Amino acid sequence: MFLHNLKYSLKTLFKNRMLIFWTYAFPLILGTFFYLAFSNIENSEKFDVIDIAIVNNEQFNDNMVLKESFNVLGDEESDEQLFNIKYVDLEEAIKLLENDEVSGYLVVDESPKVVVKTSGTSETILKYVTEEIIQNENVLANIIEEKLNTNIIDGNINEYIENIRDDALKMLDMNSLEIRDITSKKLSYTMIEFYTLIAMTALYGGIIGMTAINQNLANMSDNGKRIAVSPTNKIKIIFSSLVSSFIIQVIGLFILFMYTIFVLKVDYGNNLLLIILLALFGSLAGLSLGMAVGTILKTNENVKIGIIISFTMLGSFLSGMMGITMKYIIDTNIPLVNKLNPVNMITDGLYSLYYYNTYNRVYFNVVSLLIFSLIMIVLSGLALRRQKYDSI
Amino acid sequence: MKPILSVENLTKKYKNFIAVDDLSFNVNKGEILGLLGPNGSGKSTTINCILSLLNFESGKITIFNKEMQPNAYDIKKDIGVVFQEVAVFEELTVFDNIDYFCGLYIKDKTLRKKYIEDAIKLVGLEEFKKFYPKQLSGGLLRRLNIACGIAHKPKLIFLDEPTVAVDPQSRNNILDGIKKLRDNGATIIYTTHYMEEVEILCDRVIIIDKGKIIASGTNDELKELSKIEEKVTVEIDNLDDKVLDEIKQFKNVDEATYNSGILFITYKKGKNNLSSLIDYLKKADIHYDKIYSERPTLNDVFLYLTGKELRD
Repeated sequence: MFLHNLKYSLKTLFKNRMLIFWTYAFPLILGTFFYLAFSNIENSEKFDVIDIAIVNNEQFNDNMVLKESFNVLGDEESDEQLFNIKYVDLEEAIKLLENDEVSGYLVVDESPKVVVKTSGTSETILKYVTEEIIQNENVLANIIEEKLNTNIIDGNINEYIENIRDDALKMLDMNSLEIRDITSKKLSYTMIEFYTLIAMTALYGGIIGMTAINQNLANMSDNGKRIAVSPTNKIKIIFSSLVSSFIIQVIGLFILFMYTIFVLKVDYGNNLLLIILLALFGSLAGLSLGMAVGTILKTNENVKIGIIISFTMLGSFLSGMMGITMKYIIDTNIPLVNKLNPVNMITDGLYSLYYYNTYNRVYFNVVSLLIFSLIMIVLSGLALRRQKYDSI
Repeated sequence: MKPILSVENLTKKYKNFIAVDDLSFNVNKGEILGLLGPNGSGKSTTINCILSLLNFESGKITIFNKEMQPNAYDIKKDIGVVFQEVAVFEELTVFDNIDYFCGLYIKDKTLRKKYIEDAIKLVGLEEFKKFYPKQLSGGLLRRLNIACGIAHKPKLIFLDEPTVAVDPQSRNNILDGIKKLRDNGATIIYTTHYMEEVEILCDRVIIIDKGKIIASGTNDELKELSKIEEKVTVEIDNLDDKVLDEIKQFKNVDEATYNSGILFITYKKGKNNLSSLIDYLKKADIHYDKIYSERPTLNDVFLYLTGKELRD
């Protein structure tokens, strides 16, 4: 029964021209558009090194992680330079900002603080990078403190103090290496748009999932009525439809990757496998969202499609698809929103691969997407079990 | 003999509206039972309750001596349903549509293929196996709808208005197919508001109005309820009120009316009424165009019982 339904579910979905257009053709068209539009912009407007100021006070010089990190990022000798840094006093930094000579300045007082005038891309990158360095510094500090405490308790602080220092330096060095990958070469508008395209295509799975589910529900379609009166377990049928939707999605993503890599010559770098992993789990999240909307909501198909598209678009907006500044604002002010936002789980993973080589954040987002998918599937299952009668 | 289907005191409400009101009836093996009623009378709701597509307030439904439930797969495997709405996949061919729905009942591929061929032959779609639904006419689409519902050779078949908006050729084909299904041993419940179909097909008829059974029995039993045995229609250009009054006084006449050049007479009994009328018209030197006599229809029964036409 599972294979029988899977076979015909695939046949019907593949022959659904509207669905195939939005799943397969639309991302390719959009990708081509991005390629044509942004590659020209990029050629003429290569990402400039960002001018910033750092208040060269005692606190900054005492903060080794911050000092070393910005030292690397502002290395004029390196072709991976991200910032053009002026080390000045506070008064001069304020003046430089007022005269628009810098995008922002960093001042370390009780804690590091980034001051900007506007909220453009350069300002956002400065904020984002500073925040990441501070986070890494905190992780480092916690680990050192933990080790220190353990050794104090063990009473052998002197014996291990040198090892701890070595560990810390190693971590600092690793940290610098990670930050070193935030290079001006990698900062590409086109890449941001292609990541956006991948996330959008993955989330479009919601529409496929919902369409497949609707075909099986008696209160949503006439075919569903026919299926409902047959001697088949509704959950089995729906599960096989979900699998077929996933297959359709995966093929769509495969075509998108093939097209962008071999036709548009997009270089996804060394992280292609992780990008594909994120896209697959993103697709699962999209499908399960579609499944939940399809099973839980008692409204017609067009309204359901509207809900999925609205949810995806809002999620995309909040996660920075229309400008990374929004992501920063939400992450800073209402982090819970983006923690629960499946679109953000995809984009955050992609951005973290883009800006850093910190795989932990990618895995965290993959696990988050998996948990989101499981919650949606469980809710759908409960809704289906509760609907003893189809209530057509 | 125990009935194949038993409906006891079925009541279905939509908020304060009672769609099915304490309905009880049985269906015996091998018969075609007609559920006749105007649109909105509760026929389809009754079928949907029987099939567990709708929850209901009270009542009990027994099929094949087992209580019907949404997950009663052992009952469902022997039921076939043809819904009023055409329920097929636009993306699948005629053959694939039937194969998909038949496959929900029959796992054996070889047996299924034979069943599909039988169903295609039954509804006369042999030449259209590779066609997509969009390429079929309304009548052919209805035939496909039927084939999808009965290909698995069910013992009990529900046909919910299967001939709505169908051309006469397809209608005849569908009705012939239904007779063949009965001849092959299936029990059929046939809902319609076309009284002619009920008269042609059904062994027994239940007339429903406003969710209630208002009459049931064989065609002849129901027609007796109307107290009319014959209807005579005469086309006459002019008719005096005096003549009409005289006709009303004829033996066996129940009612006589004259409107727009048509004289319409109903008789309580049906012997020699037409010849007596013709003799009278000749003697009175009244010229008429056409004259014909009919037996009463189920519509007359419905009209008599409810005061309204079936297709109102």
